[in-house]
Formats: sequence, structure tokens, C-alpha cells
Amino acid sequence: MRLNFCYQDKGTLIHHLNPFVKLAWVSSTVLLALIFEHPLYLLLLFLVTLPVVIAAKGWPEWLSLLRFMFYLSLVIIIINSLVMYHGTHVLLEFTFEIPTLGQPKITLEAICFGLGMSLRLLAIVSAFTILNLTVHPDDMLLAALKLRLPYKSVLATSLSTRFMPALIDDLGRLTDVQRSRGLEMDKGKLGQKIRSRGAVLIPLLSNSLDRTVQIAEAMESRAFGAGKTRTYYKEIKLTPLGLTQVAAGFLPFIFGLFLRFKGYGGYRYYPSLQRINLNWLELTFMLILIVLLLAILPLAWGSKWELKNWRRG
Amino acid sequence: MVKRTFPKAQVRLIITVFIFCLGVFIYLAPLYFKGSILDPNTGPFNWGLVATIFVGLCVLGFWYEFERTAKGAKEIVLVSMLGTISALSRLPFAAMLNFQPCTFFIICSGYVFGPVAGFMVASLTALISNFFLGHGPWTPYQMFTWGLVGITVGWLRKLNLSPKTGIIVLAAFGFFWGWLYGIIINVWFWTSFVFPLTLKTYLYTLANAIIWDATHALANALFIIIFGAKVINILERFKKRFSWDTQS
Repeated sequence: MRLNFCYQDKGTLIHHLNPFVKLAWVSSTVLLALIFEHPLYLLLLFLVTLPVVIAAKGWPEWLSLLRFMFYLSLVIIIINSLVMYHGTHVLLEFTFEIPTLGQPKITLEAICFGLGMSLRLLAIVSAFTILNLTVHPDDMLLAALKLRLPYKSVLATSLSTRFMPALIDDLGRLTDVQRSRGLEMDKGKLGQKIRSRGAVLIPLLSNSLDRTVQIAEAMESRAFGAGKTRTYYKEIKLTPLGLTQVAAGFLPFIFGLFLRFKGYGGYRYYPSLQRINLNWLELTFMLILIVLLLAILPLAWGSKWELKNWRRG
Repeated sequence: MVKRTFPKAQVRLIITVFIFCLGVFIYLAPLYFKGSILDPNTGPFNWGLVATIFVGLCVLGFWYEFERTAKGAKEIVLVSMLGTISALSRLPFAAMLNFQPCTFFIICSGYVFGPVAGFMVASLTALISNFFLGHGPWTPYQMFTWGLVGITVGWLRKLNLSPKTGIIVLAAFGFFWGWLYGIIINVWFWTSFVFPLTLKTYLYTLANAIIWDATHALANALFIIIFGAKVINILERFKKRFSWDTQS
């Protein structure tokens, strides 16, 4: 099965949710993952992304990405274990010395810190995966316009997403043409392989530049840039309900900030691991945070798609 | 009373210098402010978040600069097309560590069309290719770092190098940026997931990515040596066809 990490319309409720709500929710989760240090809070943040991934039917892509993240997590644990000797529980002490680092020793605290940071990475990547898989690039760009990002840059990005399939077609066609002329692209050493790719690359570039002129002239003939006020075929409308949903998306972050302000969510790894003592109040706060984060599911269920299309003229 | 006003270019220069100093400060703060409120290991600031916000704002700043300088549809479509080609070239190489030709495309684009176009092609490369490869906190860093490649190569143009010397200089520039790219982009990983933030841990983080950076540097030099002259010629021809100067 071929997996890609770009948007696929699977028609789920998460896919149909307003992109602003998803942006707010993902921003909340990512920011919370950055401000919390406590492994339990980080684990919680990671776990709450799972029901959303399942609801978005993004499970296969998510699992595949997780395999790569496992490698990165390993790197995090190794780096932290090798450079941090402040822990008091030494698990392994080497007899040789590394220049500038001294005699390496691996401590329980360093490994736990690495594990904690791996959870942070997993929570962040998992949240971003939901955004990648469920928000169409066009909707992302419409949202960017709504957020008053520079119009020309957003237009350039939008055009790029349009050019991509056309260029992929061109690339396939040019490759076929060159192969039919007897060009063997996969033979020879690395330098030879790269050179033979040039037989496709150079015509692709020339063709694309010609296309650039055609498209620019088509835009100018439609009076692009003539007026200061722009009109759009598609627009993301934010109704009062939509605004409430966006606010609900940011609510976990606000609550998380409140918790950090109150002294929850921090954790001391060095010199020895802090004991985890959760009292009823903190457990209640964590439960509230879970409820706020998982509120995206009922929001998706209860909301209607607000993207309105209409044609002018 | 005569009202003194700064010319716009001077204001922009002051802002650019200020942003540059702020960036260097944020980059070096973890190493030099031990024990103070700015100490990332003991202070209240999450340095990963601070660095990411700074990088995001820099990218936004350049986008606004493009908004100001792009006069017509041709500039927008050209930047967009070059960004797409560059992003497309990244996809088949995604599994080959960092051996990919998109830095080469960014270098050629920035060299021919100048720093702002170079930055835009670079930021589009990261943004568009990550729609396929996956967005994450690394996206603004990639946009920023590749953007710096696009900007700095635009400055090389002022040296008026001969075509042959130009390719040699660009290959060396690409090789150098292959390493520098790693040095800058690894900051997101280091500030977010490694503790404490010291020079030692930073060097370890860089050492971990040494193969990625080496293949990146090698690929840049190789692609520029093999295709640089041809691609730059095509872009130059296009530039000459669709732009003109008036001489008084």
C-alpha cells in the first residue's frame, strides 16, 4: 500500500470541520506540548490525538509516520543519555574517555528525560498529522487569506499547489519521451544517473517557464492587480457558531496556561527524578484538560461545513 | 520647524539590522546567559518556542517584502513555478537522506532573479513539498533556512562573476550552505528536545546529523557543477525576454 501524508478526502466529520477550528486545536496541542514538561501531561497530549486520528481515518498514515518518529525519539534519548551526566542513578559507566565530554555514563534521569521529550515530539507530530491529512491545501490558503497574510505570497503558494499535478504530468510525459529515444536513466554510476536525469529536467524547466508566461498573461488579461479590492470565488465564512468553535479550539491552551501559572505541568528530571504525586485537584484539572481537548470530536459531530462556494458574474 | 524623516531604505536597513541582531542574540543566548532570567535551562522562557516564533516572523517579514516588490502577475507566477519545480524535485529524493536538488534550484533562482525571488522560491519549496512529506514545527525553519540560501546567493550576483568562475563559486557556495543549513535547522531539534542547552549538546545534535548535512553539501555542489550552467542560462534567457531597462 502506498502512503502519502497529504490531504485525502475521506469524508469524515473531522475532514468537514471548519479549518480554523482544526488550526486552533492543533496550535493549542502543539503549544501545550511545548509548555508542559511533565511526562504524564505530555503522554496525555499524545493520547488525545489518537481518537481524532481514528475519527479522521488517518490511522495507516499516522502509523507509518510513527515509525519514522520512533527513529527520531531514539536519537533524542541517545543524545540526552550521552551528554547529560547530572543524574544520580548511574546505570552504565564506561571506562574510556571522550574528548571534551569526559568519561561517559548513562543515567536513569537522562533516559527518562529523553523519553519525556520523545513524548513531546510524538504529541506535536501527531497533532500536525491531523492537520496534514484533513485540511485541503486550498482551504489552508483561504484560511491564510482570512488571517490577512500577504496576498501575493498566498497567491504564489496557491498557484504552486495548482502547478504541482500539471508538472507531475509533464515529468511523466518527458520521461516517457526520453525513454522512447533510448535513454537509460537508471544505468551507470551516480554522476551518469544524475546527468541522464538532466535530459528530463532541462526540458521540464523550459516548458514550465513558457507556461509561466501564458498564465501570467491570462491573469493580466483578466485585469489582475487592477483593483485594490479583491473578490473571491471561494471564501471560508466564520459564523457565530464557527467563532465559538474556534474559541473552543483555543480553550485547552488557555486552560493549560492557567495550569502552568498555578505550578502544574512542570517536572524535575535532574539530579534525581521527581516523585509523581497527583492529588485529586490535579487529577481533576487533567480530566478537564482531556475533556477540553477531546471537545473537537463533538464539535465536529455537531458542526456543519461552513465553506461556502458561490460564483460571481 | 523642519520635520526630519528617514528615507524608506534607511528605515528598512535599520529594521533588517535589528532583526539580524535579535536573531543572533536568540541563537547565542542559550550559550552565554547562564544563571540569568534569559538562561534557557533555568529561566522561565521556552527557548524552542521563542526561536520558532522568531523564525516564523522572519518568514512573514519576507512575505511582506515580496508583497511590496512584486509588481505584476509575471513575478508571482514565475516565483510560484520555480518553487513548484524545486518542491517537485525534492519528492523523489525524500528517502535519500538529504541528497536532493532543491537547494540547487533555489541557488540558481536566487542568483538570477535576486534575493527576494530567491527567498520566495525557497519558502515555497518547503511549504509545497511538505504538503506531501508532512508539515511540522520544522516547516518554518526550512522556509527560513532555505530562504537564507536564496537571499545570500542573490548578493553573489553583485560580484559580476564570469560564467565559468560563477559555477565554481556557486558550487563552493552550495557546498558551504549544505553544512550551514544543518547548523541552522538543527536549532529546532536542539531547543525543543535536548537538555541542557549548551554548546556541548548543540555539537552533539549537529554530529548526529552529520551524514544528512554531508550528503546535502555534496548534492548541492554536484548538481551545480553538472546542471548549473544550463539552468542559469535558461533562467537568464527568460529574464532577458520578459524584462527591460530604459537607458536615458
